[in-house]
This record gives sequence, C-alpha cells and structure tokens, in this order.
Amino acid sequence: MKSEILYPGAFPMVRIELAEGEKIKAESGAMVACSPTIDIESKMEGGFLGALSRKFLTGEKFFFQTLRASRGAGEVLLASTVPGEVVVLELDGVNEYMVQKDGFLAGADGVTIDSQMQSMTRGLLGGEGFFLLKMSGKGMLVLNSFGAIHKIELKPGQEYIVDNSHLVAWSSTTSYNIEKATSGWVASFTSGEGFVCRFRGPGIVFIQSRNPGGFGAWVRQFIPVSE
Amino acid sequence: MTMSSNALCFGDEFSASGIPCLVHIEGHGLTITFPPDHDGGESRSESVSFSALTVSAGGLDHDQLVLTWTGLAGQRTLYLKNPDVIRVFRQAAPDHLTMPLEHAAAQVRQVRQRHRAVWTIVGAILVTLVLGLWFGSDGLVELAVNRIPVEWENKLGESAYRDFLIHQDVVKEGPAVDAVTEMVRRLAKPIPDNPYTFNITVVKSDVVNAFALPGGYIVVFTGLMKKAENAEEVAGVLAHELNHVLQRHGLERIVKQLGFVAVVSIVLGNPPGLGGVMKQLGVELMTLKFGRAQETEADVTGLQLLYQAKINPEGMITFFQRLAEKDEGRVEWFSTHPMSSGRAERLKIELAAMPKPTLEPFSFEWAKIRTSLGPSTSSSP
Ligand SMILES: [Zn+2]
Repeated sequence: MKSEILYPGAFPMVRIELAEGEKIKAESGAMVACSPTIDIESKMEGGFLGALSRKFLTGEKFFFQTLRASRGAGEVLLASTVPGEVVVLELDGVNEYMVQKDGFLAGADGVTIDSQMQSMTRGLLGGEGFFLLKMSGKGMLVLNSFGAIHKIELKPGQEYIVDNSHLVAWSSTTSYNIEKATSGWVASFTSGEGFVCRFRGPGIVFIQSRNPGGFGAWVRQFIPVSE
Repeated sequence: MTMSSNALCFGDEFSASGIPCLVHIEGHGLTITFPPDHDGGESRSESVSFSALTVSAGGLDHDQLVLTWTGLAGQRTLYLKNPDVIRVFRQAAPDHLTMPLEHAAAQVRQVRQRHRAVWTIVGAILVTLVLGLWFGSDGLVELAVNRIPVEWENKLGESAYRDFLIHQDVVKEGPAVDAVTEMVRRLAKPIPDNPYTFNITVVKSDVVNAFALPGGYIVVFTGLMKKAENAEEVAGVLAHELNHVLQRHGLERIVKQLGFVAVVSIVLGNPPGLGGVMKQLGVELMTLKFGRAQETEADVTGLQLLYQAKINPEGMITFFQRLAEKDEGRVEWFSTHPMSSGRAERLKIELAAMPKPTLEPFSFEWAKIRTSLGPSTSSSP
C-alpha cells in the first residue's frame, strides 16, 4: 500500500495504490475515483451495533466504505468534502490517536476504529460531544482538516492551549483539561463557547487552521433570511 | 525483522510522537529495545535499573503506566499501555516502587470508577427524562409549554403554515371564505382573553380535512365543506380545531419531541444535527397527529365553545357520525382524528348535560355556499 497526497494545500486529493487483495476503509463519500479493479463495499465497522453507536454517538456517517483491490492491483483517489489539508500518519500498533468526528478520511485495514466515551466535563464543555473516534492498530491513517493542518509536538510535561473547535486529532499519551478561556482568548461562537483545552505532553496534537463552526456562522450572515 | 513493540518511549532526541519500542522486564530492571532505523541501522538497546525509575499514571484517561528516569541520553519517559506488560512490571518491581505503583493503580481505578459512576448517573437521568417526556409526565410538558410565549408559538405556526400553503391551491375570496370567516369570528367571540388572532384559509382540495397549527393558523379543505350538510357541521369541526390552538396541543407535542431531541443532541454535541431536527419538527407539525387525550379535550371544549357561540352543537356530533359511517378509510379527517366508537357517544352525553342552547343563525345560506364550491366529487375510488 502506497499513498501520495496530490495537490497539497486547500484542495488535496489522496492517491492510494493497492496491491491485489489489499483493502482500505474510507469515510463514506470520500471516494472520488478508482481503478476498475477496485470493489466498493459499505461495511459497518465494528458490526451493526458498533456502526449504530458511532452513528448516534458521534454523528459520524453510518457506514465506512471498504475499497478492496479484489480483481487486481489498482488505485483509489480520495478527498474530503471540506476544503482543507490532508495528513497521512502511520500507526505502529503502539501509538493511538483520538480523532474528532469529522477528522477521519481513510485508514488501512489494520487500523481499528472505535468510538470512545470521554469524561463528563470534556464531553459537556469540549463541544465535540461525548464520543470521539479512537484509532489504534497498525497501518496508514489519513486525517483531513478544515483549513491547514498544524502539528504541535509536545515533549513530556510540555503544555499547550488549543481552542477546542480547532482540534483534529491527538495522541493518547497526551492528557488534557478543559478550561474556561481567560479574557485574552477570543471566545468561539460555536458550541463550547469560551472553552479551551490545555494539553500536556508527551505526544502530538493536530489542529486545523479554520474553525468549521465559525465559518458556518460567517457564511450564514450572507444568506438572506426570508421575509 | 519486524519487531512488535509494546511501549512508547519519549526522549530529547526522539520525535514528539515517541518511538515504539520493546520493553523486557528482568530481575534488575528494564531493557528497552528500539527498532532499527529506516535506513538499515542496527537495533539498539538501553537498560535501566528499577532504582532509577519514577512511576505514575498518565495518558488521556490516566490509564497508562508512565515510567521516567534520567539516563545517559538524558530524560526518558516510557508509556506502557499493554496490561500484560504492566502486570509483569508490577510483579517484578522492588519494594520501593510498590507504593507509587499502588498509588498509580489506585488512580487508574479511581478514574475508571468515577467515569462509570458519572455515566451511570447520566444514563439514569437520560432514561428518566426520555421516558418521562415520552410517557405521561404531562405536568412537566405543561410546565414547559406554559413558559413559551404566544409570539414564539405564532412564529412557529406561521412558518409551518407558509410552507404548507406554497404547494396548495388557496381559495382567496368568495362565499366559502366569507362563511368560514364568519364561523371563526362567532366562535372566537366568547373566548375570554383570547391571545390568538385566528387566521383561516380555505384550500381547494377534495381532501376531507381541516387542521390547526400553533398560534391560530387554521386550514379547511373544500372537500370537508362539500361533505357538510349544514354550516353547523363545519362550525363543529372548526370549534374542535380552534381548541387544539387554545389548549396549545401543537406546542405540547413539540415540547415532547423537542425535549427528547434536545437531550439527545446535547449528548451528541451535534449542532449540524439540529438542523435536521428542526426539519423533522416541521414534518411532525404537518402530520397533525394529536394524542387521544388531546382529541377528547378538543372535542369537549369545542362543544362548549359552540354552545357559547350560540351555534347548534348537534352539528359536530352528526358530522362525526356521518363521516365515520361513510367512506370508511377515505376520510382524512379521521385518519388524523381516529374515530373511537365512544367519541360521538361521549359528546352526546356532554350535550345532554348542558341546558338547551339559544341559537343564532348564520348570515349565509349553506346550500348556496356548497354550490359555489362546485359539484361534489363522486366517492368511487
Ligand atoms: Zn383534533
């Protein structure tokens, strides 16, 4: 399996080459094009209940698509619905990432996707809901963002403060607390208003340079209200 | 060649995501083996004795065992997640680590217990709320409904009303419109402190139905008017619909739905989902299904309203009876207003208990109104 990011920047596409028999999971709707040797199956990751709980608990789409090179080697092109960067990570069986529900684009077959409950405070104040996707296992993981993806590397004990609506993914070796933004912070006008996450290393935090909720609010002001 | 790692090691010269490594626990301490570099280097090992280690719990859920020490290469931090490795470590660790280990284990247990306790409580509250809103607990719904100002109700009803009328053939003027307007005016007159301005629209359609939206928006289909043998029968249906408005039945239904949905969307933190929910509520408004208790209430209060408006209440009863007999399964008013056999009977008893009504005739002749609507459609399917 080989991956390549085409047109890096705001409108990227990911090309993934599959050898015969290889397969990947992708967010349903992520596939743009593929070789005729690729079969597309909508598979419910984690069984019916898993899919159901993910659907209701994270608001994620019900199905992940499985793209399988069943009739010979081939390639697939994937892209996300929103303009934004794509990043490819490699899971090695030890490191795990928590991914905010819109951050997942695709993953190798060896990557396990679970929805995981988080603590009450984080759920109530974090604005991502009570459930996140937990990515573990082995293989390639493709994340997408709204805007550019910025990688924050934290040494053990190092701290960093992130507005929660800009979170994409973070490694499970980090820990974080939700805090009320101090007066110096610009309160985000979406859910989780005025709350920020204080991350503590070691680990990596991926953030997106744009806030989808904020963008939505900005667009809405130009939509004429009837009457 | 490939080595399966069981821990992540962090250090000054490593990347922030940590280096996967293989931890071996031996008598004196740990041996950490790092995988070979991508460009074909050799795998390296480091050893550390138990005496150099500091132990704590860490990670997102405080469920990982964190070992730190200062070695030759500087500060090292090791994250152990694999339960087997943690167990072996705990067994092998010497006495001076027992205390911190127990402390870390207690911390993990505490976090787990707290999670479980909180989620149990939240789960219980959710279930109670949902069940409470769903079945009964009408007091709660009523309490919520009473707090909603009439203006909001108006906006809600108006938007649904406009949406509905876009696709309808509205009768703008004429004898039929005048007649129902007069009926509504008569019915509204005896209502004390009426906060609603009733808005009645006649829609050209063979559907035998009429409905009321929150805020006082009432729609009557010409099909229903054609089916009525006298003006009192139409007035009977209108009195019933008006009371759905006055008793705020639509709002009660929405609050029930919304309560459920609000609880769900708070938990899901899913603002885009809320748009769908509002759509769903709009659809819900248009399905016009009220509960049985609400129907009975609208019937009985409707009957009283007719009485006070000096309109013969018999019309309501005869219309119900006639529609129930004929055209079974074709009359839409009864699909949204299920006719239980007791319904007309109940009204008869109510009526018998009332003193004889004084009646005032309408200013129009019903027969003329009916002819103005055109020929009645045949009831063959
Ligand atoms: Zn009714």
